[in-house]
Amino acid sequence: MVKRDKNLPLTETVYYILLALLQPAHGYIIMQKVEELSDGQVRMAAGTLYGAIENLLKLKFITPCQSDDSRRKVYVITEEGKRLLHLDYERMSHMIKVTEQNWE
Amino acid sequence: MNKFKFYIDLDKEEKWLNKMAKAGWELKDKFCCYTFQKAAPSDTIIKIDYRNFKTSRDFVDYLALFKDSGWEHIAGSKSSGAQYFKKISNDGDEDIFSDIPSKAARYRRISNMWLTMAISYIPLFISLTATKSIDTSTFLNPKLLYYTPGLWEKNGISFLCSFLFETPFAMMRGISWLFFPVMIILYFIFTIKAEIKYRKASY
Repeated sequence: MVKRDKNLPLTETVYYILLALLQPAHGYIIMQKVEELSDGQVRMAAGTLYGAIENLLKLKFITPCQSDDSRRKVYVITEEGKRLLHLDYERMSHMIKVTEQNWE
Repeated sequence: MNKFKFYIDLDKEEKWLNKMAKAGWELKDKFCCYTFQKAAPSDTIIKIDYRNFKTSRDFVDYLALFKDSGWEHIAGSKSSGAQYFKKISNDGDEDIFSDIPSKAARYRRISNMWLTMAISYIPLFISLTATKSIDTSTFLNPKLLYYTPGLWEKNGISFLCSFLFETPFAMMRGISWLFFPVMIILYFIFTIKAEIKYRKASY
């Protein structure tokens, strides 16, 4: 069996944050995008999002990027982040596929 | 009005601050004590985060995120640790945390801060001991704190008088030397208390 990446599976919030950051965005935009992408299911509060961003920066899944806003930092997903996002997408696709096959 | 209080439990601290706001005392600042200003009684929600920042740019970014999501920063600074927020929008979130691990993680950061304090006092204590600024032998033998020549050979009333006369001075010497070990132990106790809160809050 192939050993899978230790960062998998991603949590629901991390998955949505990475998905949101395929386009550069600052904190509050990420918050709104996550809520929109999840159909209102995932609402992140400020303190929780800030901690999540800090953690993703440490893992190098996202990186700060240039912005015109002097107060708000803007982030974007990295190649490593994209790779993990896609691995988790494949993991979930597989789950959906086998569930459909086995559901009577 | 200034008030001095010490909290390990952030939920209790938040509750107390909300009660003060209800009684018409608005939190204005927190350094070593809480500074309140008379205001109209209000049902504000005050929440506490615990974070230090490397740069002012990081701090400004952090405050902007909270402001954007309906929380006004009322007390705290770049390196103060505790950051106090007041709810300012009606349709915003009820808390600054939306999951249990991130809410609990505050205690982990507090615990680390106390641990750093405790550890940074140790070399200071050792160097003061090594340079004989602190005489550790007095911890084991408090008799050394008494400087009166021949005190311990005296007896009866004469001993008692000399002994009682010098005791306050001896205690002052002892206590000032005890400062570092006591602080180090205290900081370790806070470290453990915050760590216990962290574990309890994680579930």
